[in-house]
Amino acid sequence: MEGTYIPEPEEELPGLNVSNSQGLLQWISSVDHKQIGILYLFLAVLFLLLGGAAALLMRIQLALPGSTFLSPEMYNQLFTMHGTTMIFLVLTPAILGFSVYIIPLMIGANDLAFPRMNAFGLWITFFGGLLLYFSFLAGGAPDAGWFNYAPLNQRQYSPGPGIDYYCAGLLLVGAGTVGTSINLVVTIIYFRVEGMTLGKMPVFVWMVLINSCLVVGAFPPLNAALSMLLLDRQLQSHFFNLMGGGSPIVWQHLFWSFGHPEVYILILPPFGMLSEVFQVYSRKPIFGYGFVVGSGIAIALLAFGVWVHHMFVTGLGNTVYNFFAASSMLIGVPTGIKIFNWIGTMWGGSLRFTTSMLFAIAFLVEFTIGGLSGVAFAVVPVDWQLTDSYFVVAHLHYVFVGGSLFGILAGLFYWFPKMSGHMISEKLGKWFFWLFTIGFNLTFFVHHILGIKGMPRRVYTYPDISGYSLLNLTSTIGAFLMGFSVLFLLYILRKSVKTGEKAPNDPWDAYTLEWITSSPPALKNFDRLPPVYSLRPLRDLKQSSQLQNHTDGINTNILPSKSDRGGSFEKNDN
Amino acid sequence: MEPLFTYWHFDLGTVILFLLFSWGYGYLSGFKLQKGAGLYFGGLSLMLLMELSPLHFLGMHYLLSAYMIVHIVLLLICGPLMLIGLPRSSDHRLIWQVSRFFNYWPWMGWLSAIGVMWFWHIPAVFESVFPADHTVFSFHWIAFLHSGSLLLAGICFSWPILSPVRELQVNPLLGIVYLFTACIGCSILGLLLTFAPPTLYKHYFMTDEFGFAELIKTSWGISRAKDQQLAGLMMWVPCCFIYLSGAMVMVYKMLVKDERV
Repeated sequence: MEGTYIPEPEEELPGLNVSNSQGLLQWISSVDHKQIGILYLFLAVLFLLLGGAAALLMRIQLALPGSTFLSPEMYNQLFTMHGTTMIFLVLTPAILGFSVYIIPLMIGANDLAFPRMNAFGLWITFFGGLLLYFSFLAGGAPDAGWFNYAPLNQRQYSPGPGIDYYCAGLLLVGAGTVGTSINLVVTIIYFRVEGMTLGKMPVFVWMVLINSCLVVGAFPPLNAALSMLLLDRQLQSHFFNLMGGGSPIVWQHLFWSFGHPEVYILILPPFGMLSEVFQVYSRKPIFGYGFVVGSGIAIALLAFGVWVHHMFVTGLGNTVYNFFAASSMLIGVPTGIKIFNWIGTMWGGSLRFTTSMLFAIAFLVEFTIGGLSGVAFAVVPVDWQLTDSYFVVAHLHYVFVGGSLFGILAGLFYWFPKMSGHMISEKLGKWFFWLFTIGFNLTFFVHHILGIKGMPRRVYTYPDISGYSLLNLTSTIGAFLMGFSVLFLLYILRKSVKTGEKAPNDPWDAYTLEWITSSPPALKNFDRLPPVYSLRPLRDLKQSSQLQNHTDGINTNILPSKSDRGGSFEKNDN
Repeated sequence: MEPLFTYWHFDLGTVILFLLFSWGYGYLSGFKLQKGAGLYFGGLSLMLLMELSPLHFLGMHYLLSAYMIVHIVLLLICGPLMLIGLPRSSDHRLIWQVSRFFNYWPWMGWLSAIGVMWFWHIPAVFESVFPADHTVFSFHWIAFLHSGSLLLAGICFSWPILSPVRELQVNPLLGIVYLFTACIGCSILGLLLTFAPPTLYKHYFMTDEFGFAELIKTSWGISRAKDQQLAGLMMWVPCCFIYLSGAMVMVYKMLVKDERV
């Protein structure tokens, strides 16, 4: 096989002399992108359980009218922590986990550009999350909602320490996320294997690149706002305090100039995962590669120009609303383009309905529902009627769960064999798919109706009004079904790792470079790689006339030797 | 009060600008009309239209939003049009030198546009742009500099990505970053104008010399506050769409270039 230079960090990785037998210590001290990627995913699972528990407690409270299961104060803390956790500590780390694990493998590199910064990003995110949860022990968790509006975030309305922990925790999480994103940008730009020009980069790599730029642009306003809020609360400054000459609206501007791009930060990488999944399980190249990439860039650029649609009820005036209604509708266009691209990819393909593909197809339905309710919010009078109602809760969950999480689950079932070296039982996987999808729709579809009927969000209880009770009870039953299915997923994953069938290098007959290496990959990802001539280098390799020679090459040369597998850190010094 | 559409006016400074840039084209093309001349002179004529029409009159006396339209068109439409219309086949030394300069220092083009845009919106500077007398042959240096700098900045800003020397155009990926950061620079100014107190620019609070204030306020429904908001929003949202469209062209160029490779 033609040898190709494998990009890797020029500086040697730190020579940690820790062997396999040291178990946890090895993981804690790791700077290997694969182990850090898996740790990111563990972090996401840990906080998914915490955030999910908060959600279930809320649903128990709301199952019946007039319930006193939770106090109003505790309910406020739970919905705040649920939202904050799911966005900053579940979806973001899950996306970063897949990104730092898969990107170097996909572009033919042996690690990220800055391995220690990668570890720093992970651990500072973890400690930021711990700090946020420590607030429960320190006198009360934050209680002003995940977007923490002024003046509710001021000391006179939230005298406990929760908001301070919110600021400090999210500043740490933000620092970690920005650091890892910079790392990903540098890696993608400088560490691609020879031949992989920008136009031959897999869609997932493109989406992570765009997304990382988005993170670098979007987090500074949030960090500025958090710092200003800490100053307000700790040193009595008046950035958001009207009585002192400040402006509560400034918080909303700063928060949503981060918060709206954040929606795309959480959806663009799943778009990339889905693009890989659709093409592999349709046995066709992605339909309209240029449009998929271009629309991703368009979404990222537009993301910074539409945040005011979150503020249609703040009294900014019709002139402002008209402009932002138009721009908000416009951003639906590139998203719609992608949906058609994926349908086009499936069209005429030889489809394989694996669990991953089922999640991808379900995503098309769920995310379209979330997208359409989003476009409805761009219509100002509709927004006035439905804002702060359960319709918003339905919309955002259809985007974050039906969109981001379904995409991530499609990616999980697709890449799990590569990451763990074991196959997941398709039968159990499909059970999980149906349980989760039914549970999700049962929980959140009824929220549309509740919202239209006028039930406000963020209330700890409600009167026994016709319709409210049954719909809330349905939602609670659905939430428990979702909760059960998440536990079932963890069982499936554990069972697969322990007793699952051993995964071959390329179980899905896929197209991209990560499937060349062993499952799971050795500490050093690649020794040699085929040159990249197209978007599907592995397929090119498999189809070449020297197939047999290449196959021998894969078995004996490209992949690291057996002794390297799961190996010690001494191997990192290569 | 004459109908508004009759308020065309002659401005000596604008005519001088037109002649100067026309001479510039002749100098670069050897005084022959070359391919693309239509675009160059189209851009220049658009400048003339913007500066002499009733829209300019409104901008000078009543509406910041009208002033903003003139501003945006000069910077983001006239400038790029004139650059695209420059003789492509020219081996003129000046074109090569300027292309090489902006290829090495593309941020100078960026800085010229964003700097000019911000500079002319500093309230004290803004007030000085408006001439005190409106006689036919009066020449107002600052107004002349204002229009000329916007046009020139538009050309400089576009040069790194639309250079007449194709091989000296910046990498499309850098072009996307270039346009995106320009969008941010422009958005921040637009945002400030949108949410600043409506008394930011005193000029529009002067006496109603031509008697249109009532028409604008009652029939058109544009108050001073709304006018300033509208101006800020124009700079914020449509301007960004112009940059975004440019970025999309860059994406297209990048992928096409890659296919060719």
